[in-house]
Amino acid sequence: MSVRTVASKDFLDARRAKIVWSVGVHYPLLIALFFLQVRLGSVAGPPDLLVALWNMAFVGAVFVPAIALVATYLAIAGERESGSIKYLLSTPVSRRDVVLGKFVSRASIVAASLVLGFAVAAILAVAWFESLHAAVFVKIAALTTVYALAYVAVAIGISAATATRSRAMAGALGFYFATNLVTLNDDISGLAGLEYVLNDVLGLGIGADLIQFVGMVTNPTRAYLVSTIGVFPDGMTATMGLPRPDELSWYVQPEIAAVILVGWLLVPIVLGVRRFDRATLS
Amino acid sequence: MTAIQTTGLTKRFDGGVVAVDDLDLRVREGEVFGFLGPNGAGKSTVINMLLDFVRPTEGSATVLGHDPTTDADRIRRRTGVLPEGSSLYERLTGREHVEWVARANDVSVDAGAALDRVGLSSADADRAVGGYSKGMRQRLAFAMALVGEPDLLILDEPSAGLDPNGMQEFREIVREEARDGRTVFFSSHVLGEVEAVCDRIGILDDGELVATGTPDALRTTLEFGGTISVDVARVPDDLALERRNGVESVTVEGSTVRASLADPTAKAEVVAALDERTRVLDIVSEETSLERLFNTYTSNHRAERSLTDDGREGTRTEVAG
Repeated sequence: MSVRTVASKDFLDARRAKIVWSVGVHYPLLIALFFLQVRLGSVAGPPDLLVALWNMAFVGAVFVPAIALVATYLAIAGERESGSIKYLLSTPVSRRDVVLGKFVSRASIVAASLVLGFAVAAILAVAWFESLHAAVFVKIAALTTVYALAYVAVAIGISAATATRSRAMAGALGFYFATNLVTLNDDISGLAGLEYVLNDVLGLGIGADLIQFVGMVTNPTRAYLVSTIGVFPDGMTATMGLPRPDELSWYVQPEIAAVILVGWLLVPIVLGVRRFDRATLS
Repeated sequence: MTAIQTTGLTKRFDGGVVAVDDLDLRVREGEVFGFLGPNGAGKSTVINMLLDFVRPTEGSATVLGHDPTTDADRIRRRTGVLPEGSSLYERLTGREHVEWVARANDVSVDAGAALDRVGLSSADADRAVGGYSKGMRQRLAFAMALVGEPDLLILDEPSAGLDPNGMQEFREIVREEARDGRTVFFSSHVLGEVEAVCDRIGILDDGELVATGTPDALRTTLEFGGTISVDVARVPDDLALERRNGVESVTVEGSTVRASLADPTAKAEVVAALDERTRVLDIVSEETSLERLFNTYTSNHRAERSLTDDGREGTRTEVAG
């Protein structure tokens, strides 16, 4: 009940914010562009929807976190800086309700943007490509949604733990850089550094799978990318130079990655609730 | 019955600043309590602790019988709050603010009537708060505090940003609420409004409660002499009234001699001294205004701990305004 009143008020407020809308339309637009690229770019044979869907997942990996972070990072910290949080907490809602309500509200906004994107993708898939690959499509959509909500959860956690807009922004940007931009280039990622220290410097001979597991636990983007491998047919992942799931240890299977992704959705909220519960609001 | 009680309530912020120091305060149910103090005295910190926005370093508080640190939401269910210096939601209308507070409190409300009561028209009600003036925001915040007929109203500087007309309307509503049996606890540094509506007053200075009592009792216990104005036929030269015991300052305006007194017994002395030299036409004795009382009290309090620059105790104060 209280979570709902927080969420409905925040939804009313946030949906009037221009920034949320301008960010929200980017995802459908990008999907349309990437589908167009696959459609026009296939020279030999009919255009392959699977490639387009793979692009959709890859676009998601980079842009979905940005949408989620921008739409969410001020949810609580912004109200703390302006002081309006006191009006919110003058009503009979608990601090936990505030964090959960804000998550529900921002998660719905981000999810709405994704659904719009998926709708565009579905229409283009039917119009431009020969086979629909409904199962792959639905799974990618589902995983991308969980991925988005995990970043909303991270942003809510950062917002709940910071007292000012600037600190919340620093936290959100920092997390985005560390988990996303850096992950795209394996040579400079923290994981590459870890592997270098453990294996090349210390000579421990840690296996690639274990390194990968650490990567998934410490980075939702890696967990998402690994989880999507399980969605595509084996033949396709092979042509892209990705490992076949049956070659991997059990703890780096796509299903485990999906579970870790769900963990990334839950843990930041729990931490955010705990931090905000003890926060001084003066 | 006690609406608010604090016992040894203390708040030290990081860096050792003591915002509230060992505060013992009791507000009875059904009374209008004025929490007075200059800006920075610690009034908002006390209120923040009553509402669990800030946790006390030491001591405890109860509000309507509940501990804010454990039962804040039960307190909020029965309390209307007007927080100080907080911004409202710029993109929401006045009506949406009131409706949201009603929904959060699980009560139904006629938002139009609630806003009309604080002087916001139906045209104002449907405008986004981003376009409101400071006074309108304060009126809306007051309307939000009144939603759901709470047992207790906690209002932090409710008259901030209100024009004299708005302050008059605010006092009127506080009286109405008090007549309905509600407890009103409000902080202010504006003495006129406190004097006009409060049953009891607590004066906070530098984190410490320096006096509590009814406005009348505070005047008596402080043994303030008030002022005496004497109309005379001719103002004598070299009066030297200031040199007499109990006389703080003397001003002459036309044929009126006005003396501010530290001690009421000096009144007779002033009149006698004038009577010796000239013919006394009229005598007007005025009791101490709370404003003066407040100024003197808070500065006396400081003087107890530190002497003024010239080494004497700083008991001389100017009447504000």
